[in-house]
Amino acid sequence: MKLLDIIKSANANLLRNKGRTFLTILAVFVGSFTIILTSGIRTGVNSYIDTQMNNAGGENVLEISSSAMSEAMEGSMMGGSSAPKKYDPSRSPISTTGMAITGEQLNKARKINNIESVSPFIMTRMTSMIPIGVAIKYAVGVNGEKYEFDVRSSIDGVNLDIREGTKLDNQTKERQIAIGMDYVAAFGFKDDKDAIGKELTIYVLDRGRPGKLVPIKAKIVAVLNKSILTMSGGSVNDSLARAMLDAASQNLQDNFRQMYTMATAQLKPNLSDAELDKIKDQLKEIGLSGMTAEEEVGMIKAFFDAIILVFTIFGGIALLAASIGIINTLFMAVQERTREIGLMKAMGLGRSKIFLMFSIEAISLGFWGSALGVGVAYLVKMILNPLAADTFLKDLPGFNLMKFDLVLLLLLVALVMAIAFLAGTLPARRAARKDPIEALRYE
Amino acid sequence: MNEKPILAAKRLTKIYGKKSLEVKALDGVNLEINRGESMAIIGKSGSGKSTLMHILAFLDTPTSGVIEINGKNATKLKTRQVNRLRNRRFGFVFQQFFMNARDTVLNNVMLPLKIAGIRKSERKRRAMEVLEIVELTDKAKTRANDLSGGQKQRVCIARALVNNPAVIFADEPTGNLDSVTGAAVENLLFKLNKEKGITLIIVTHDADLAARCDRQIYLKDGKIIKSPVSSGVKTVSPPGKRGVKKGGRI
Repeated sequence: MKLLDIIKSANANLLRNKGRTFLTILAVFVGSFTIILTSGIRTGVNSYIDTQMNNAGGENVLEISSSAMSEAMEGSMMGGSSAPKKYDPSRSPISTTGMAITGEQLNKARKINNIESVSPFIMTRMTSMIPIGVAIKYAVGVNGEKYEFDVRSSIDGVNLDIREGTKLDNQTKERQIAIGMDYVAAFGFKDDKDAIGKELTIYVLDRGRPGKLVPIKAKIVAVLNKSILTMSGGSVNDSLARAMLDAASQNLQDNFRQMYTMATAQLKPNLSDAELDKIKDQLKEIGLSGMTAEEEVGMIKAFFDAIILVFTIFGGIALLAASIGIINTLFMAVQERTREIGLMKAMGLGRSKIFLMFSIEAISLGFWGSALGVGVAYLVKMILNPLAADTFLKDLPGFNLMKFDLVLLLLLVALVMAIAFLAGTLPARRAARKDPIEALRYE
Repeated sequence: MNEKPILAAKRLTKIYGKKSLEVKALDGVNLEINRGESMAIIGKSGSGKSTLMHILAFLDTPTSGVIEINGKNATKLKTRQVNRLRNRRFGFVFQQFFMNARDTVLNNVMLPLKIAGIRKSERKRRAMEVLEIVELTDKAKTRANDLSGGQKQRVCIARALVNNPAVIFADEPTGNLDSVTGAAVENLLFKLNKEKGITLIIVTHDADLAARCDRQIYLKDGKIIKSPVSSGVKTVSPPGKRGVKKGGRI
């Protein structure tokens, strides 16, 4: 039997039970479509980032932040909704002081070899997640108990998950605070309602006079639901954040008052990796960490890739389930066609050809499923890309949400076909091994 | 007879099952079938007649003994050669037809040619040729399922014929047919035997059909026995002349 005839026969056989074939193909489609779509988005995002990188030409620019900043960011993300901790004088307070870059540090950085200039970002408004330059020792409610307390700024547009009370107001002069639900009882309030409108005293370290604390009174306007965004503490409005910052730095000299969240350093062009590493090491010595644009993008890419990986794994699991479907479909086909297999063997069709015929049925299922996935993904791309460009990617011209890499697509289709083939070997082997006499006797 | 027999079986034994439970389906069968001969294998169910046919057709292998084709030992043939032999030299007709019911008559008839790897136009030409012999040219595009029993068996004969075989094995070819259509199918088989010189090996219960063959082989408990009836029709009778044997308990 010729290969072309075998392929034709295999596909004709698939059409004999259209419903079953369609459902099996659908299962393959779901898996491949998921993978194609996520890889399409990945290619789209990566190619946009790459173009941006090339345009920026950010080879000799170093983003500078304080070393403590990144650690604190990670810490706040991980330990988000931990229970209120009693104040322990032997432990150092959660310090946000170290998170800022001081003017002094910048001056030191300017002296590092190969750095041409350093310019800080100056924030006109408090927009960082954590008020920079403040260290809260503890906070006290109505029962006089001291608790560790950490705060972040409330940012306009970010909705807090409020259980009780009203939103924080960044326009008012009133010093407002929203506390996590666990702190209601800890600070000695009867319930959420009871806490609203009450006063909380926050003790902030005076950075100009070591060991001295400045009490700042704040009005509780809201109780927040537990979530990863509420740190072990609460959120503050702008005027409270400013008050804390002022209190912490009131006794500092002007030079030390300067606080920056970030800075960029212009480097001499064409530095080697070793020279770059040396600069980073020197920055580390003065408590700063430097990152090239490439590294920064790398971090974003790594984070994004992790999400894509999860979806790809989902797609992979769907494909695994689909291949079990292929096995099942083919086992049923072998069962149904036992006599036919017997007849063909009696007429001199060899084992390998029978095996090939059923394998090709499996491969065809894989092919049609993944081809359908490619087709529908293209359709989705055609609809979604302009839609995205008009809405959430409006501010990012040239950003195509999805982009397909033809080689990658072909590779995926080939991979799915290979998986389908592997799944088909089991039933195909059973078909090939059938004894023609037994098969012809089969009722 | 100078010519070597087209098929010969020597001390053929087939044993099924394990030692304590073994069943001898064939027990030292010796047989020679000459080219162009028509031969009936007769026996009760369980006598080993189907096993004998399967072994002669290389669908089954004997436990011991030798099969010769044209005087050459064929027991040691490779699977590939056996497949080729069945495809090119043998034709099969079964009681239950075994057709792809949803496929057309033409496609069913072309199947052996497809297996042989012959190209499509040639397949079609040869299939139409044999359909003409069985007088079913007008049914070529009909689905096999829509045919009557007699027509189905004629399609099967066409299918057996399409590879221009030397031997046709027929396993109860008229078993599922009424006497009129059965007779038509019989006539067709014997016509092919006479006109094309195709060797015919028929396994049957039907005494009338068996009697039309040149030679009858009676099997009992895996052994060839003499005719169970007195009228002795073991010798070669001239083709076309009806055998006398009647009313056998077969």
